[in-house]
Amino acid sequence: MSNAFYGTFERHSDGKGLKGHSTHYCAGCGHGLAHKYLAEAIDELGIQDDTVAVNPVGCAAFLYFYLDTGNTSTAHGRSPATAVGHKVANPNAMVICYQGDGDLAAIGLAETISTAQLGIPITVIFINNAVYGMTGGQMAPTTLMGQTTTTSPDGRDRLTGSPIRMAELIAQLDGPVYVERVALFSPAERKKAKRAIKKALLMQKERRGYAFVEVLAECPTHLKTTPEKAMTWVKEQMLPIFPLGVKKDANFEPWFEMPKLGFDPTTLLKAIGASSEKPAGFCKGFPTHLNPTDISLKLAGSGGDGAQTIAMLIAKAAINEGFDGTHIPAYGPESRGGTSYADVHVALEEVHNPASPHPDVFVAFNAPSLAKFGNTVRPGGIIIYDNAVAKDVKTTDPTVKVIGVPFTDIAARLGKMVVKNIVALGALQAATELFPAETLLATLRDTLKDKAALIPLNEKAFAEGAAAAREAMKR
Amino acid sequence: MSQANTRPKPFLLPDYCKGCGRCVQVCVQGCISFAKEINPETGMVPVLLDLAKCTGCGLCIEACPEPYGLRAMEAGESFELQDPATLFGPKRSTAPDPVDIPGRTIPLPAAEPLVIKGTYASALGALLAGCRHVFGYPITPSTEGAELMAKLLPKMDGFYLQAVSEVATVYHMYGCAGAGLPCMTFTSSPGFSLMLEGVSYMIGSQLPGVFVDIMRGGPGLGNIGPEQADIKLACRGLGHGNTHAITLMPSTPQEMLDLSYLAFELSFKYRSPVVVLADGYLGQMTGRVQLPTAMIEPGLPAWAVYGDAAHRKNLHTSVFLDEPTLEALNVKLNAKYEAMQAEARAESFQAADAEVLLVACNTPARASKGAAQKLRDQGIKAGLFRPITMWPFPIEQLKPLLANVKQIVVVEASAGQIEDELRLALSHAGITDPPPITHIQRYGGVLPQEKDVVAHVQNLMGRA
Repeated sequence: MSNAFYGTFERHSDGKGLKGHSTHYCAGCGHGLAHKYLAEAIDELGIQDDTVAVNPVGCAAFLYFYLDTGNTSTAHGRSPATAVGHKVANPNAMVICYQGDGDLAAIGLAETISTAQLGIPITVIFINNAVYGMTGGQMAPTTLMGQTTTTSPDGRDRLTGSPIRMAELIAQLDGPVYVERVALFSPAERKKAKRAIKKALLMQKERRGYAFVEVLAECPTHLKTTPEKAMTWVKEQMLPIFPLGVKKDANFEPWFEMPKLGFDPTTLLKAIGASSEKPAGFCKGFPTHLNPTDISLKLAGSGGDGAQTIAMLIAKAAINEGFDGTHIPAYGPESRGGTSYADVHVALEEVHNPASPHPDVFVAFNAPSLAKFGNTVRPGGIIIYDNAVAKDVKTTDPTVKVIGVPFTDIAARLGKMVVKNIVALGALQAATELFPAETLLATLRDTLKDKAALIPLNEKAFAEGAAAAREAMKR
Repeated sequence: MSQANTRPKPFLLPDYCKGCGRCVQVCVQGCISFAKEINPETGMVPVLLDLAKCTGCGLCIEACPEPYGLRAMEAGESFELQDPATLFGPKRSTAPDPVDIPGRTIPLPAAEPLVIKGTYASALGALLAGCRHVFGYPITPSTEGAELMAKLLPKMDGFYLQAVSEVATVYHMYGCAGAGLPCMTFTSSPGFSLMLEGVSYMIGSQLPGVFVDIMRGGPGLGNIGPEQADIKLACRGLGHGNTHAITLMPSTPQEMLDLSYLAFELSFKYRSPVVVLADGYLGQMTGRVQLPTAMIEPGLPAWAVYGDAAHRKNLHTSVFLDEPTLEALNVKLNAKYEAMQAEARAESFQAADAEVLLVACNTPARASKGAAQKLRDQGIKAGLFRPITMWPFPIEQLKPLLANVKQIVVVEASAGQIEDELRLALSHAGITDPPPITHIQRYGGVLPQEKDVVAHVQNLMGRA
């Protein structure tokens, strides 16, 4: 008797009476043998302490009655997902998924395939008995053609699908290191079954990868036959559909050792880009000329114009100056092209409304943006737009100041279209005097500190945008 | 064949035999046969052993599916039937009783405020709270949190895993939390719907985990605009069964960090999932975020199924077929929900003397705060009550504010889900005659604006 079984099954009706030493399986059920070979392999490999058995939903839901190891019972089909959670939490744990055909090949198919392809070292024992046992004999994904079940009363036919061969399916994936199908109907097959289960655990112990053993098992109860005939049925009916044997036996290098989790505060602060250095301030006071306590800006263009980047820069600059700042992006569904607009607020104390339905300042990178938001600018507000792409802009409100700056032309002249937004930022600074130029430039340099080579070009773009805006305002 | 004589022969307690006959099939000597007599103890028909010709080949033992079925009889043992209790029991598991390994608080050097978006702030809160395992499935507008985690976690030797679905995500969490480690996910409304089954399992198995749901417009695929329509899911519908979880409602990027950090503490304190509900604006919104003064290195709780000798004894499960046992679990969970009432949190703004009390959470609370200020400027005594926990609803914090209140106005981006929580809390608190409750509701990715609130209240107070 394997030591990996409890001495008394205390979780089985509190271990009282016969249940203390007896399984809940029907006579002739294959689960008991699979449990036994699993327990013996755990014993022989000396992994009892490290083992976490993930209990499925199905007849084996109470594996934890018997296995004296760590146990987690999970939802129907979610064993592999749960197992992965255990394995990444403790890579030294020996994590075993023990699943039936409904659990593994029906409801849990997505998790089964993705976990196998991930190849993470866990061991999957798949009990295929061609029928749902726990719920009372319904059709399984592995039910044979013509086989009658309570939900295929006239025998499985084309309308109810055909049996899925999981071992073959799993074996053709890249992730698994070892896949075998075994059976329990004869001494020779049982010997192979035991060997396969042990090897599958060894593959995990050696960190070589994901291993999968499909066990063709008998369910005499729902085959409505005797245990003996059920064994014959597996041999004669199942084998032609589910051929036995090793389906994959690869020679993978062991997975890398997972490092110990890091809790060094300095490493963390560096990783998140936190700094103890106080940013320099250049503002004399809040730019009340735009709005007394809360300035609202909108920047709009096509995706890729860089509206979001400079929106973020403005919010950052505001906070560096000791004000509050917020930025909310909004995109169309496209990753490039399409609409992209940003709402920015700069507040003396606290931003209450982060959206900008009626901006004080509006920066437009193209004509559609102007058409969409031009008339939302509040009376006395400012519009700065790219007059290289939008011509003859007029507003219905004469109090709104409209300043055209050729963002695109300037960027093209500088040889890098991507600095178009920095041209716009320079123009915005000159046209609104939201902050001193140095405030925005310092934030810009800080943002580019990992790409320092780009700083001179960006500074030039900013200066040219500002100069062009000043020139435009003279007209 | 002297070897055959030394090999142990099989032994069987009939009580533990179900008569499947796998042993009958393999015995070439014909020592084992099917019987006809029903065992009165079990109702089964155990096989009969006649070992006169037994060679001790062991094939029957190998074929027996019962752990305590056919077994090899060791030298000196008797064939006589023995009392099973003395034969097998009371051998107990050698697994030790696990103990808690406490975590530690590590002081953080002072740092300047960061300027980051809400999902990033939430991710940093989780990292600082000791979370090194993040699972997720990409969904707008929550994905940036996962993206940042995928970038930062390797630097902290942590682990980000993109799951095959939200369903898989929650069970990755179930496993990782089951091992006793802090873990989380970022998701958005349709994804959160998919996770709810697993949340129910986590509550049933009493496992911690943090769900950051950046709520978007629904129902169905809806859109990626901001909404607050998952409140009924978080407060009243966390999967099947009697479920509740503390639900935190940040309203600024700063609170995205602070409440995500707090969520881990509460989650482990109560061994229960915690939900952080933010609207799409908060997820995307960039703002000032100050880091806390300390970070956490988590320990390992005694209840973990870690996969080591110390925790071998443990089991996580939510299946209890015995009705009294499952009822006892529910009683225990209800007591836990009762204890969680102490975690109710709220913030008030100009509420002490308010005649018009605005009730709002998340981004609409910001607009409401602005509105309250504007209304005060106009001489209307308006204030804001902002629940920070939606479940438990901070009714004790609300009660003392009600004295002067003539009107309650619920401002929300949902069809009354916050109002329902408020009304339910008032009712449970025995407040049968609360001030009149009106509301401003927007849906479909649209948030109520400050001017909407101001206009509504002006109208209400006859100042339109």
